[in-house]
Amino acid sequence: MEAKIISEHYTKDEFIGIDGYKKHGGYEQIANAFKMQPKEIIEMVKAAGLRGRGGAGFPTGMKWSFLPDNGEERYLLCNADEGEPGTFKDRKMMERAPHQLIEGMIISGYAVNSHKGYIYVRGEYRHIIELLEKAIKEAYDAGYLGKNIQGSGFDFDLDVYSGAGAYICGEETGMISSLEGYKGQPKLKPPFPAVQGYLKKPTIVNNVETLASVKYILRDGVEAYRKYGTEKSTGTKLFSVSGDVQRPGTYEVPLGYPLKQLIEEECGGLKPGRKLKAVIPGGSSAPILNAEEAYKVNMDYESLQSVGSMLGSGAVIVIDDTRCMVDLLDVTLHFYHHESCGQCTPCREGTGWINKIANKIVKGEGRVQDIDLLETVAKNMMGKTICALSDAAAMPTISFVQKFRDEFEFYVREGRSKVKGQTYAQVHG
Amino acid sequence: MLKCTVNGKEIEVAEGTMVIEAFKQAGEDIAHYCWHPGLSVAGVCRLCMIEVEGAPRLMIACNTQVTEGMVVSNNSAKVQEAVKWGLDFHLINHPLDCPICDQAGECGLQDQYMKFGQYDPEMAERKVKKRKVVDLGRKIVLDTERCILCSRCVRFTDEVTKTSELGIFNRGDRSEIGTHEDKPLDNDYAVNVVDICPVGALTSKDFRFKQRVWYLDNDSTVCNGCSTGCNVNVYYNEKGYFRVKPEHNKDINDYWMCDKGRNIFKHVNKESRLLKAMKKTEAGTQMMAPGAAAKDVASLVKNYSSEQVAFVFTGQYTNEEYDDAMMYVDKIGTKNVFHWVNNPESFDDFDGILLRGDKNPNTAGLIKALEAKSFNATWEQLEADLNSGKIKLLVLAGPELQEYFPDIQEKIQLFSKAEKLVVLSSNPNPAYRDVDYLIPMKTFVEKKGSFTNFAGTVQKIQKMRLVVSQALSLNEAMQLMAGDELQVGANL
Amino acid sequence: MFQLANERVEKIKSEMKRYETKQSAIIPALYQVQEQYGWVSKEAIDFLSELMEIPVAEIREVFTFYTMFNQKPTGKFHLQVCTNISCSMAGGRELTDYICKKLNVKAGETSADGKFSVSKVECLGSCDTAPVMQNNFEYHENLNEAKIDQIIESLQKLN
Repeated sequence: MEAKIISEHYTKDEFIGIDGYKKHGGYEQIANAFKMQPKEIIEMVKAAGLRGRGGAGFPTGMKWSFLPDNGEERYLLCNADEGEPGTFKDRKMMERAPHQLIEGMIISGYAVNSHKGYIYVRGEYRHIIELLEKAIKEAYDAGYLGKNIQGSGFDFDLDVYSGAGAYICGEETGMISSLEGYKGQPKLKPPFPAVQGYLKKPTIVNNVETLASVKYILRDGVEAYRKYGTEKSTGTKLFSVSGDVQRPGTYEVPLGYPLKQLIEEECGGLKPGRKLKAVIPGGSSAPILNAEEAYKVNMDYESLQSVGSMLGSGAVIVIDDTRCMVDLLDVTLHFYHHESCGQCTPCREGTGWINKIANKIVKGEGRVQDIDLLETVAKNMMGKTICALSDAAAMPTISFVQKFRDEFEFYVREGRSKVKGQTYAQVHG
Repeated sequence: MLKCTVNGKEIEVAEGTMVIEAFKQAGEDIAHYCWHPGLSVAGVCRLCMIEVEGAPRLMIACNTQVTEGMVVSNNSAKVQEAVKWGLDFHLINHPLDCPICDQAGECGLQDQYMKFGQYDPEMAERKVKKRKVVDLGRKIVLDTERCILCSRCVRFTDEVTKTSELGIFNRGDRSEIGTHEDKPLDNDYAVNVVDICPVGALTSKDFRFKQRVWYLDNDSTVCNGCSTGCNVNVYYNEKGYFRVKPEHNKDINDYWMCDKGRNIFKHVNKESRLLKAMKKTEAGTQMMAPGAAAKDVASLVKNYSSEQVAFVFTGQYTNEEYDDAMMYVDKIGTKNVFHWVNNPESFDDFDGILLRGDKNPNTAGLIKALEAKSFNATWEQLEADLNSGKIKLLVLAGPELQEYFPDIQEKIQLFSKAEKLVVLSSNPNPAYRDVDYLIPMKTFVEKKGSFTNFAGTVQKIQKMRLVVSQALSLNEAMQLMAGDELQVGANL
Repeated sequence: MFQLANERVEKIKSEMKRYETKQSAIIPALYQVQEQYGWVSKEAIDFLSELMEIPVAEIREVFTFYTMFNQKPTGKFHLQVCTNISCSMAGGRELTDYICKKLNVKAGETSADGKFSVSKVECLGSCDTAPVMQNNFEYHENLNEAKIDQIIESLQKLN
């Protein structure tokens, strides 16, 4: 069963504008927040167990408490650079409930004592940028943004920044570089953004869904929030489901929800006559699950970790038995090759290398040793770079090869897909 | 101070020391391409991998600070494997054109390959095609295929010269170093990027294809191009002198030098030198050995009273030469000693990095030597005495770097008002055509001694390979001109 | 001759004040150029460098890093078809081929009349409505050949 907290009003068009938003309790939590000390809010978020919804799943309250405890100017950045293949839940929220994000940011800004926030939106989402700019103006006009918000003495300015086509800007320090006006290349850590981020000032970067969730923790309280989810993976989560299901879409379910149920109930199951082959459970970087693993796993951080994968951004890509895994790996690796920022050598060179190997196999020119080479190169790309993009390319590579090795071997041996029975040229012209 | 253990060696390092520096201090090898002690940390080549006791993941030494009691190593199989793969990733798109690459012999990739590689590459795919022989102006050529994108050169133009001509364009394995529209990289320090390039991506037009580096010797000395006194290494062999590179001195030039200083070897080589002394006679020019010419001048000196003899010095000789020279001037007994300041209007200029307006390596030394003997005659007095005919014989200790003396012609005309003009010079000059004696001098790489820089720091220069063996140093010339015999083997 | 419209120059100047540093206005400035010209030329980079007083290499670095900035002239309608995983599974690649054939261009190129450019792009964040494409900034979802026919036909009518 879906548990619609964040997405409760997504279907209502009026929820997009400030009046409709307020009609459904919008901006009420701001007054609530101002009654509390910022530290109490941080403690509440910690107690609720909220974890970052962008991909890494880092505890939000803990991240906030890394900020230096002084009066130094600091920034709150919202990561709306949704780019992990398979992910579209933030887009949906910003399209359907822009004020929900703004309210979440005001409360979070108050909690971390920041007076300036940015929503960094990927450039392709131009319509969302316009929508957010309009919503921000409404919020200013209604006195929810700017100086002395609602007579609280708290000032908070909010602006939108547009990316321009770079997946890496979804990495928080890459985003900071980009917002600073440079190439979106991740920065060396340490120093961490909470100490030295945007313009070398303490900076918190949180995902859209994370920031919106803060509002609901305030509204419903820690107990109510923790009622959903598991002990370590609390609350509900938006899942973007795509691929071979009857009803792809965004679904909000409690963390710990069985993947099988999500596919079969919310998404209406597979297409008639098809069998589940694999699921990518957390965006294309997450190690792929075979059908057996997919059917036993629950959608929470721990359960997915126990089968060697991860929750990531909550992007579920369902793959049925008509799909060629060699082809899908090639498509996936093209992406990482295209998106590597080029800074660290193992990633810059490695993403290109494994993409070329996979592509060669798909074109029917692979060598037997290329299968092992794919895996070896990928393994040596892991844990060696400034950010996780190198790992993000390596993880699908290793898991695809390990779990669907027969398809790779068939492809190399016969120069055609085991599943399709045809060559790449025959399938794709 | 902090105690730490590097590959089993216990050492003490200063607070704030990075692990990579601790490795250097401990004398332990650590591979690195992007880290450079004179630049900010980029942390991108990922070669300086280390294992820190208690840390789960490998870390990079260039961005890890030493903490008290840290136990760190890079000799475990895990690190060695990571470094081997780090090298592989650097090589897969590198053209491996060492036989035609100017960097061969001093290339970071080659060095690493000799240590970790020496096997056939695993990469069977087509390499990324990038631009080759990109002309970056009169000084530098860029090969973007050889480039390993360590970003040292970009950081140099951002951080040292603050000119930001270079950038890394595009993304991923399509990334390329370059300037916008191949605009020339033409700042006064540009060639430093050639020095810091760990591979053969940036090469110097001046040095390219001239010599294989393994056929060159080098010695340290001090740049004689201006009063900053940058520490440099001069590269030479039996064929001549070929290039100059900066040598680290944190108090003077850090890791850098200016591009003008790169040319200081050019006047040294035989083809530009004055090989024999020349004496003007009625029958024409007579060639003679330098020592013989100086002795000739000694008899000339005797023909005049001491107040009819004048000496003009430039700030281009060593402290030791000046000290002896002043002694012989004293012996001759004249007070007519003058300092030729080549460019008074820009003499005090400074570009904020290294370049100074005083284009002499040893102005301070000359001034000190003059003061020691209370020689304080003014240039106005020299002009007056020449115009009045009071000065009959003038000896000029001419500049070694003539290009910094744009008024040479004009000054020689002035000096020619004396009955006899003797010029000591390492190199010929059209302006010297009619002087009475022209005597070949040694250059700064052919003698020992010291220069005193603008700040009063005394720095040694070294004798390297003689180019003109008969040429004299200033003290030898002065000694002979003062009528003394030269002791064989006593020269500096 | 590169000539950025006055109101765009003014917009860039105001973007330079909008953020904490003027550097942050490079991306907005590049968008201004691209919206007028459809791409960003070398002259445009020089112009922005002078206008913003930022080294030209820094602007070029930013320009070439972000793939939404076109490095060569691009058609009035830039059809960007997602060929990432979910869209590929839904036929994004075949659809690109269909569009290319229909417009007689290759992916990454512009039609002879300068009207259409076709590109394969990475995930557009609309995987539940795959296959998708953007015509400039406009999303077209749940595509099939018939829909493509319709879209192209209506675009061809526009001038």
